[in-house]
Amino acid sequence: MRRGARRAKPEGDGAMHMLDPLAGWMFDPLAGLPGDGMHVWAIATAAVVAAGCGLVGTLLVVRRMSLMGDAISHAVLPGIVLAVLAGGRPGGPLVLVGAVAAALVTVWLTDLFRTRGGLAEDAGIGVAFTTLFALGVVLATAAASRADLDPGCVLYGVLEWVPFDTVPIGGLEVPRAFVTATAVLAAVLVAAGLTWPLQVFTAFDPQAARAAGVPVAAVTRGLLAATALVTVAGFEAVGAILVVAMLVVPAASAELLTHRLHRMAAIAVGLGSVAAALGYLLAWRLNTNAAGMIAVVLGAEYVLCLLVAPDRGLVARLANNCWFGWRVRCEDELAACWRAEEAAGGDGPAPAPSVRGLAGDLALAWLAATGQVVRGPRGWLLSPSGRSRATTVVRSHRLWEAWLGRHAHLPLDHLHPPAEWIEHHLGADVRRRIEDEMGREASDPHGRSIPPES
Amino acid sequence: MIWLPGLPYNTLVVAAGVAAVGFAAGVVGSLGVLRKRALVGDAAAHATLAGVALAFLVTGRRDLPVLLAGGLCSAVVALGGLVLLRRWTRTREDAATAIVLGVSFGLGIALVSGITARGIPGGAGLEQFLLGHTAALTARDATLLAAVSAVAVAIVLVAVKEATLVAFDAAFAAATGWPVTLIDYVLVTLIAVMVVVGLPAAGAVLVTALVVIPPVAARQWTDRVGTMLILAGCFGVVAALAGVAVSAVVPRLATGPLIVLAAAAIFLASFLAAPGRGWWSRLRRQRAVEQAWARGRILSAAAAAAADFSRRGIVERVGGLGGGGRRLFDAAWGLLVRQSLIEPAGGPAAEGGHGGTDRWRLTTAGMEAAAERDRRMRAWSDLMESSPLDARALITIDLPDPAAVGAADAARRAAGEA
Repeated sequence: MRRGARRAKPEGDGAMHMLDPLAGWMFDPLAGLPGDGMHVWAIATAAVVAAGCGLVGTLLVVRRMSLMGDAISHAVLPGIVLAVLAGGRPGGPLVLVGAVAAALVTVWLTDLFRTRGGLAEDAGIGVAFTTLFALGVVLATAAASRADLDPGCVLYGVLEWVPFDTVPIGGLEVPRAFVTATAVLAAVLVAAGLTWPLQVFTAFDPQAARAAGVPVAAVTRGLLAATALVTVAGFEAVGAILVVAMLVVPAASAELLTHRLHRMAAIAVGLGSVAAALGYLLAWRLNTNAAGMIAVVLGAEYVLCLLVAPDRGLVARLANNCWFGWRVRCEDELAACWRAEEAAGGDGPAPAPSVRGLAGDLALAWLAATGQVVRGPRGWLLSPSGRSRATTVVRSHRLWEAWLGRHAHLPLDHLHPPAEWIEHHLGADVRRRIEDEMGREASDPHGRSIPPES
Repeated sequence: MIWLPGLPYNTLVVAAGVAAVGFAAGVVGSLGVLRKRALVGDAAAHATLAGVALAFLVTGRRDLPVLLAGGLCSAVVALGGLVLLRRWTRTREDAATAIVLGVSFGLGIALVSGITARGIPGGAGLEQFLLGHTAALTARDATLLAAVSAVAVAIVLVAVKEATLVAFDAAFAAATGWPVTLIDYVLVTLIAVMVVVGLPAAGAVLVTALVVIPPVAARQWTDRVGTMLILAGCFGVVAALAGVAVSAVVPRLATGPLIVLAAAAIFLASFLAAPGRGWWSRLRRQRAVEQAWARGRILSAAAAAAADFSRRGIVERVGGLGGGGRRLFDAAWGLLVRQSLIEPAGGPAAEGGHGGTDRWRLTTAGMEAAAERDRRMRAWSDLMESSPLDARALITIDLPDPAAVGAADAARRAAGEA
């Protein structure tokens, strides 16, 4: 009721008005969803479409055929329109056949342009799909009076109308688009289940696959036909063009999260379905087009994956860098204490090393809190645990200087900087091997003794 | 048609403006296609919609310059995002293009639908940017489009040498000190500008065709960059005018698809009929080679046979002629007779009446030709013994001058790779 009133209110222009409904939604995400299942059907349809697209898109992305997916999603249009003109119902078997035929024509044309016309592949794709799409739009416009095709829905679908066009199945009114999408998803799942090893082999090493007797051309053609099928299943829900977002974006997001292909497919299916539901709800709240919002949510998911992906995500990389910087800082402070003690010789504790800036203060505070240094009467003193760690760092440093001095023939004053870098990276094994090579009693080139392994 | 007298001044100016856009798009697009950046424009084109919608929301007016400026901003942002994705993430280039394209177009659709659903005054017209509609253009808008196009062409004219160098050999250009990255950015920005300027005519979904199809069609006709630029521009003008004209006659049809179909027709004609690279031309060249080879086989077989021979005997000797079959044999035989290399055994006088006799002999010229072929054949087989070559090279012994043919082939291959 509240929501309806807001929707009916004439809005002024200005960007802020578009975001108004979001404010209420923050507190009550499901408020106002009618109970008749209309939205549930629309969301279910979008999710099933997204699942099929995610599965097929995974293979397209790893095979670097994303743009072929883009081309096919545009180029199925004339096939669909011709099939509808020939008496097929939108979403019916004739339309599916028409779409697959159009997709194969696209691929054939692109190949033809490349082999017979000397065109680069992307130029061939660009020519083929724009031409076929233009043909489809003109046909659809010309036939608008005879066929049930609105050029607008061709572009961005009408997910909101999906629940109104139903067929009775077992006493339940099921949206026709949902039936089509489910059938296509089932077919794609079965085909993927049967040919998955072949698809994987072809995706990662087509030459080896061909040599091993895999019918590479047929496998590729099957993938493109599957692309056409999921495209036409998504045609009514999200329109021809936004299918490309559903094909590529979840798969690319999933690729950031995992290195295993089957896991990538599963994640892509999940991401796609979640985006479908979220995008629909958002669009309904904001009173705008569902397909567009689904694409926007997919984009947000991709950015999120970029940020949080384990070990390659921006956050993970940033955290790694920070952690490493912190470790270097702590080890530098410990080594400075160690050298101060060495300089003071045996007679009494040394003054604290000069503390450099806030980071140095923090590092010393941390070392003190973890018991690696203790406050002495005249400065910081190493505790046994801190001394062991500091010895390792200084030992690495001096061993490396000694090794460089012998092998790299660097002047004395050039030995310190590389050792300052490497001292945080050398492992016990490398230290031992350098020591074996240099002789056990060796000192570093500056004449200072190399402390033994602690 | 639109150039007939009696049409309003506005229509003529709009047609001229769109033609200028078509020309500039062809010129700029040529460099893009040569640099293998054909689909960069597509990502930029789909992204323009969001910028157009945002510009409308912010200013609340439907002024074409403002909307196009918004479109250009979002196109540049999208291309910048593309560069970032390629440089900083694992996502491959093709997937990155598809992501930018799909997501930015989705945002545009959501914005436009939101504006339409709220009934903001003037917002309904935004949908025209999807597929293009020149009917709403004013003379002032068209002048702006033409002016921007002229600037783009001028920039191309200034930098055509550098852009060509980068397109054909980026590594060499970088090594000799040209700022390859900068030139690339300028080129991509120009493509984005042309895509934005083409928006009112061709629409966000199809405008990329303006910068791809005319250049690709022009490429079929020539191996010279200068010629290609001019040809692509002219093809662009023809396509744009055809689209505007048909759309003026049938207002229900959007301009964009019509422009694209006209350009596609030009491409199809080029693809089939262009000399050198076209389909027919390739087919004819291949036929000529097959023919020459078949004639050579017949001559050799005839020379090896008895002084006078039967046609049937020759057919048996040359076998299937490599799948070319009976038609190839008949054509080659006919030509040999017409060239007076073979004649009926009774002499030229008997030609009319040889009827069922089927006795033939080589003329003096025919014997010389057969001897020359044998000489070349021996030369080749000697060469192949010393250095094994592809057996298909044998074909050249039947062509007028093997060296010339080889050189021509090499030149054609080089052009194809370029």
